[in-house]
Amino acid sequence: MKLARLGAFHQTRLSFMRQLLRRMKADKWQFEERVFDIDSKGVGHAVYVAHAPGHSYSLIAFSHDLPADQRSDRVIATAWDATFTLFDGIPDEADIARLAENVPKQEAGRISGRELTLSRANRSVRIWDYVVDRLAAGKQPDARKTAEVGYLMRTTAVYGSGKFGGADRDALADRPEFQAPFQVEMLSVYLIRAFVMDLVEHIARMRAPDRALALDPVLRRRFGIGNSTGLGMAPFLITHPALLNNWIAAREEALRRVRALPEATHQTRAAFRQTAARALIHALGWRSEHPGQQAKLEDLRADMQALTEHLATADMAAPYPWDRLWRWGEATLSLEGQEQLVSLLLEPHGDLVDDLCDTMSADEEENWRIDGAMPLARLRAIVEDVYGWALAIDWSAQSSQARIWYTSEEKLEPRMGERFDEPLSPYEQPLGPGRDAALMHAALAASDAPTVAEFLLKHPEHRNSARRAQIAARLPYAEIRDNTLDAAVMPIDMLRMKLSFFGACHFDPRSDRWVRINMYQNAPFPDELAREAADDWTLPRLPEAGE
Amino acid sequence: MSWSLNETEALARKAARGGGMDWGLAEETGKAVRWLCTAGWPGAEALAELLPAQDGVKWEAVRPRTDTDPWTARDGILCPSAAGAALTDRAQDFAEGRTIAMAATARPLLLVPYTAWAADLAGRPLSIRWPGVTVTCGGEGTHADMPDPAALTVARTDTLEIAPASETTGQPVARHPRCDLPADTVRTLTAFARRTYAPGTPESRATGAGAGLTDND
Repeated sequence: MKLARLGAFHQTRLSFMRQLLRRMKADKWQFEERVFDIDSKGVGHAVYVAHAPGHSYSLIAFSHDLPADQRSDRVIATAWDATFTLFDGIPDEADIARLAENVPKQEAGRISGRELTLSRANRSVRIWDYVVDRLAAGKQPDARKTAEVGYLMRTTAVYGSGKFGGADRDALADRPEFQAPFQVEMLSVYLIRAFVMDLVEHIARMRAPDRALALDPVLRRRFGIGNSTGLGMAPFLITHPALLNNWIAAREEALRRVRALPEATHQTRAAFRQTAARALIHALGWRSEHPGQQAKLEDLRADMQALTEHLATADMAAPYPWDRLWRWGEATLSLEGQEQLVSLLLEPHGDLVDDLCDTMSADEEENWRIDGAMPLARLRAIVEDVYGWALAIDWSAQSSQARIWYTSEEKLEPRMGERFDEPLSPYEQPLGPGRDAALMHAALAASDAPTVAEFLLKHPEHRNSARRAQIAARLPYAEIRDNTLDAAVMPIDMLRMKLSFFGACHFDPRSDRWVRINMYQNAPFPDELAREAADDWTLPRLPEAGE
Repeated sequence: MSWSLNETEALARKAARGGGMDWGLAEETGKAVRWLCTAGWPGAEALAELLPAQDGVKWEAVRPRTDTDPWTARDGILCPSAAGAALTDRAQDFAEGRTIAMAATARPLLLVPYTAWAADLAGRPLSIRWPGVTVTCGGEGTHADMPDPAALTVARTDTLEIAPASETTGQPVARHPRCDLPADTVRTLTAFARRTYAPGTPESRATGAGAGLTDND
């Protein structure tokens, strides 16, 4: 649970995008483009409906003509090329009229309990016009050029869970399709990708009705949907300890099961080799300008080469071949490579691990109550066990708490500042669990209270820490075992960990605090899902297979 | 205006923190307000009344002295968030059949969720009672007996008792999926929540969200 390792995570078959596509395929969801009322400038709205068994969900897309100087995909923007909501059911005209007044305003608007998410996207300046121009000229865009970006629009925040008046997660508790985490958000983005591809073709067609082409289907699949994610996502991992635990526990248990297999069938061995080869292509196609990520990518590419060479000679017929392979990886590969190996090891073992998807949700409410009857000595022992790493830190050194998490008044968004350079201390958010545990540990040592209840009566300032420690004592992966206030902390590590569970690829940090990703690249579109494999798209296909 | 429970809880948590509570208490206060909204009771309104009334007070002045019976506050009136936290921390006592009485307590409505949580922890139904109101929690859900409905929202009560319940009295309390918050309640809570937000500075604008590479390509 160190940040450097969490910041090297890759998507796996447990990831939420993949869970969604498997479910949609298995449950035979139907999709329908119900409205597409958009003019030649790209202004108008569209409605895409996904029919699940028992419920229908509609992506309502509002497309705008955004002046170039207002285009910023950061959460701090106030206008976008397209804005979206996922509607529970099928909207009527009154719903559309109401939402047209609110969805384009995003945070400044208001949605209702009928809306499950609120989100927005901007065109990629690098390739949007290029793709429109080519299609309107009756030509396909150059695959190399489009691969440099990998998407036509980038989303930013996809707000769910009741934000800005939308539906609470509790309200969807009885929907099987939304039991896994973040399924409404993943469905929203999946439908947004389909809309964006239709939109680019539509605009080309409006410009040159006689000449315009649709995108070649193979090239079309290579477009994902981009996303820019900032600091707002990082505190979530700290404020949802039970959820974090369940995600990591599922991944650890999946790896444990695979390593415990006494032998590997020919089929799984062949599937593993093929997936490893695809992971190498994926690593080669992954681009980033961030020096830290560039170094990690060099490691990853070397690691995937090393894996290929190792597989050429490794004796996979020996007992416990997957465990041996994992041990080889642990001793040989960088963190990037090790975490990629975790993903690869799970890949051919769906029958063995996919049931763990059902364990990845969490009800934080079941875990947040404090056990006041706990003897104080027990709490102290827990702190020493869970936060031993934090007790070893010299907290009087400025570098150990150089950073401070706060919420900005201007944007109401989480921010990270310099504690000793900016007047932020009165506004500190409780996002340094290690430092706070160390403070509580000192107070515990000085207290003669017999129980946690008596201690907290005198020390309400440690109530948050006492709760976290008790949760972490029950749930081994609830707490990141690293200093989130350190001068060298990289919030992008937290973002990457969370995004990898979403199923994102191509992490491209743009600073230490925000990251770009690509989602659903190579995934079948809604109209293709019924006839295509739902879960064989995350890694690029092998050229020698004629794919 | 119709609010989701999640955003109501978030607003209440931030407001409680802005009103001076430590984070752990503020988190529980947010959950308490959510619980009350789910019951269809004016929890957000109660918090919006409580926070200005105890603005600036010290914890030691309003937290319960649990070695007295009834519990009392040093400066006369108990804070329901402080008393509620102490109550749930002692849920084990209820399992053993104990009754807890409190002297002057502000906004007793805010104590009801803590009673429900204590009932869960103790594994037996509990009732909270002050003049005009009896609410029984646990077992077969929440039931309310309110001969005087106005008593639910009193600013203070001078007597209050939480005890193991042997029988359920009153009407079952229906669950509500959302809540309607009055504009003045939202205004008050937002003003307290705002105290937790750092004013913008040139440094925070430049680097708080991470400048880095262009975001428009």
